[in-house]
Amino acid sequence: MLFPTATFAIFFMIVLPLSWLLMPRGERWRPFIIAASFVFYSAWDWRFVFLLAASIVWNQVFALAIHRRSDLRGRKSLLAAAVVGNLAVLGYFKYYDFFVTSTNNLFASAGIDVPLEARSIVLPVGISFFTFMGLSYVVDVYRRDFEPVGFGTFAAYLSFFPHLVAGPIVRPRELIPQIGSQRDPRYVDTSRAFFLIATGLFMKVVIANQLAANIVDQVFGAPNQHSSLEVLVGIYAYSVQIYADFLGYTNIAIGLALLLGFTFPQNFDAPYSATSIADFWRRWHMTLSRWLRDYLYIPLGGNRGGRLLTYRNLMLTMLIGGLWHGAGWTFIAWGAIHGTALVAERWWRERPGFVERPWTRSRRAWHRFVTFQVVCFAWIFFRSDSFADAWDLIVRLFTAWGEPSPLVSGGVLAAIAVGIGSQYLPRRLPLVIMARFSRLPIPAQAAVLSLALLAVHAMGPEGVAPFIYFQF
Amino acid sequence: METEDTRRRKPRPRTAEGGRRLQSAGSAIVVALAGLLVGLLLNAPGLHKSATIQPGGWKRDAALAVTGPLESVSGALLLDRPRRALKAVLGRPGDDEIDTAVAVPLPAPEKPVTSGEAAAPPAREKFSPKRKLRLWIAGDSLVVVPGESLLRAVGGNRAITPVGKIDGRIASGLERPDVFNWFTHVREEMRSKKPRAAVVMFGGNDDHGFMTGLPEGKEIGPFGSVTWQAEYRRRVAGIMDAITRNGAYLVWIGLPISRDDAQTQRYDTINAIVQKEAAKRPGRAAYLDTYFFFAGEDGGFAQYIADDSGRLVRMRADDGVHFERPAGDLIAEKVLERLAERYDLTSWRRSS
Repeated sequence: MLFPTATFAIFFMIVLPLSWLLMPRGERWRPFIIAASFVFYSAWDWRFVFLLAASIVWNQVFALAIHRRSDLRGRKSLLAAAVVGNLAVLGYFKYYDFFVTSTNNLFASAGIDVPLEARSIVLPVGISFFTFMGLSYVVDVYRRDFEPVGFGTFAAYLSFFPHLVAGPIVRPRELIPQIGSQRDPRYVDTSRAFFLIATGLFMKVVIANQLAANIVDQVFGAPNQHSSLEVLVGIYAYSVQIYADFLGYTNIAIGLALLLGFTFPQNFDAPYSATSIADFWRRWHMTLSRWLRDYLYIPLGGNRGGRLLTYRNLMLTMLIGGLWHGAGWTFIAWGAIHGTALVAERWWRERPGFVERPWTRSRRAWHRFVTFQVVCFAWIFFRSDSFADAWDLIVRLFTAWGEPSPLVSGGVLAAIAVGIGSQYLPRRLPLVIMARFSRLPIPAQAAVLSLALLAVHAMGPEGVAPFIYFQF
Repeated sequence: METEDTRRRKPRPRTAEGGRRLQSAGSAIVVALAGLLVGLLLNAPGLHKSATIQPGGWKRDAALAVTGPLESVSGALLLDRPRRALKAVLGRPGDDEIDTAVAVPLPAPEKPVTSGEAAAPPAREKFSPKRKLRLWIAGDSLVVVPGESLLRAVGGNRAITPVGKIDGRIASGLERPDVFNWFTHVREEMRSKKPRAAVVMFGGNDDHGFMTGLPEGKEIGPFGSVTWQAEYRRRVAGIMDAITRNGAYLVWIGLPISRDDAQTQRYDTINAIVQKEAAKRPGRAAYLDTYFFFAGEDGGFAQYIADDSGRLVRMRADDGVHFERPAGDLIAEKVLERLAERYDLTSWRRSS
C-alpha cells in the first residue's frame, strides 16, 4: 500500500477519524492502531506480519527481562541475546544470499566448491527499519535511558504505520511517551501536516519519478549509449531523484503522523547545501545518522581512543551504514567513500597548525560545490549494480563529450534545479506559507489541498513507482 | 489514557512556530476529506483510466464502479477542465484517453512453401558505419534489462544504431490495449523510426483470462482456452506483421521460467503461440527461447546460476520473474547471434 495511491487515501480516511474517536480511550486506541498498522503492512505480503509480530514479542520480552535483572553480567547477556536475535533475522533475510554468493565466489576463484546454496530469499519490506527501532528499544532499556512500557504501547510504537516501512527511524523516547499519553484533539498542526504531505507528494511523484523515467534509468542502464553530458546530468539527476524520493516519503510520513497527533523527528535538512561530508551526514537521513552514532560509533569507542581509533570507528560505522542499505559490495563501496571522506576531513582539521578560517560567501560556495561532487561520486556506486557498471559510467563521463544529448531536456534540467534549488530557499519561506495556509477558512484550505492534488496527479508520470528506500 | 492531569491541564498556545495556527482534529478531518473529494473530482479522468487499466478482478470492478460515476459528475460540473488544460500545457493531452482498438494488419494469404524456398535463406544484408542497422527495442517491463544489455553490447559496433530509448512499458502487453496500445504504437514507431531490426518481448503480463479490445460481440474463454489462444495468436501475428511488413527483422524474446510453477505453465502457452507464429515467418522473424537459460540443475527456477568458472551469478530479481543484469547480458548475446544470422554487421571492419 504505497502512500501516493487511492487505496492508501481510503485507508487513511478511515483510520484518521477512528483514531481520534478512540484516542480518549487508550486501551481501545492501541489495539486499533496496531490492527490498522498490521493491515497496512499485510498489503505487501501478509506472511511477513508474523515476522513483525515476532519482532515485537522478541524485543518486548528481552526489554522486560533486562529491566528486571540487576546484575550487569546478566543484563549484558540478555542484551547480547536480544541483539543477536534481531541481527540474525535481519541477516537471514537481507544478507544470507549475499554471504553465500560472496563465499562461493571467493572459493570458486581458488577452485574450491563450497556446498552452500543461495535461497532466493524475499526481503520483507521495512525490515531494516523496524529491526533498528527494536534494537534501540532494548539498548535504551539496558542503558537505563528508558523504562520498558506495556506490550500494547510497544507494539503500537514499533508497528505504527506512518514510519513502518521506510522510517524515519523514531527512537523510543521520541515516540513512546506520545503513544502513552492522550493526544490533544484541540491542537493539531494541520497546516504543517498538509504542507509536508503536499510537498512530499510533489517531490516523489513529479520530481523523482520524472527524473527516473526520463534520464536516470537510461543512463545507468546503458552508459555507453549516452554522451558524457547525459552521463553527468544523469548522475546529478540521480542525486536529486534519491533525495526527492526519500524526502517525499519522509515528508508524507511525518505529515500523516501529525494529522494523527504525533510528532516525528525531521529526517532531512537541506543535505545538498552541506559544506562538508560531516555536515552532509548531519543533514541526510538524520534519524539513521543519529542511530549509527549512538548505537554503533559511540559503543565502538567514538573519538575517545585517539586519532587512529577514531578513524577506524568512523570507517567501520560508514561501512556498516553502507551495508545496511543493501547486501552488495557497491553499497559497501558507497559507505567506504563516505568513511574515507569523513576521515580525511577529520585528519585535515586535526593536523598541527590548522586554523579554521572564517566562512566567506565564496568559501562556503566552494565547499558546498566540492561536497556535492563527492556525494554524487559516491551515488554512482550506490546506484550501479556492480563495480563494472560503475566503472563504465565513470569512463563514459570522460570519453563521449560532443555527442548528441537528447536526454538532457528542459524538463530534466528544471526538475534538477527544483530539487537542488529547494534546499537553498529561505528557511522562513515554508513557515510563512504554512502560517498563511493556517489562517485560511476551512473551505479555502480544502480547495488549496485539492489543487495541490490536481497538480501532482496531472504532472506526474502514469503509474506509481515504489519508493527507493523500501528495498532497504 | 486520560487522567485528571490531562483534563485540567492549561490550554496550550493555539499557534506554533512561525505563527501558524493549530487546529482541531475535526478541522483536520474535514479539510482532508473535502480536499480529497474535490481532488478526486478534479482528477477523475485520470483516476478512471487508472481503474480501467487495473488487472481484471473485483478490485477493478469496484474501482470502476466508483470512478465511472465520479468522472460523470466531474464532467457535468466541468471540474475535469483544469486537468485537461494542465495536460495540454504539459504537452500530454492524450494521457487520460483509453484506446482499446486492436488494429492489426490483415493476414497475408497463405502461400504454399516449396522445398526450394524453405532451403534458401534470404541473403545477409550488409550494414556498416555508413549504412547503419537501425535497431528498435520494445516490450513490457521484462525487456528493459535485456534491452540495456543489448544497448551496451552494440555500443562497440558502429554498424548498429539504436533508434530511441528502450521502449519498455510497465504492466503492458497484448491482452490489454487499454493499459498501453501496442498495436497503435508499433505502427507509429515503424512509420516514424523505420527500424530494420526489432527486438521485442511481450507476454509477461498476459497470463490472465481478461482481454480488452475484443472485436464487437466476441467473447473468449479463460486463459489457455481455444478461443483465448485464437485471439492471442491473432494479436501476436498482428504485431509480427506490423513489424516485419515494414521491412524490419524481428527477434522475439520468449518468456523465461518463473518462480511460480503455475505461471511458468501459463508462460509456456504464450511461448508456444509466439514460437509457432515466428516459424511461419522464416527470414523475417525469429523466436528466442530463454527457458533453459535460467533453469537450475533440477530444471526448475533458479535465481542464482553458476557460471563456467563456478561463480554463483544472480540472474533473476526477487520477484521471480524479472531479470538481473547477467541474465540480460546472456539474452543480449543470443539476440545478437540471431541478428548476425540475418544481417552482416561485421564485414565492414575487414574492408575498412
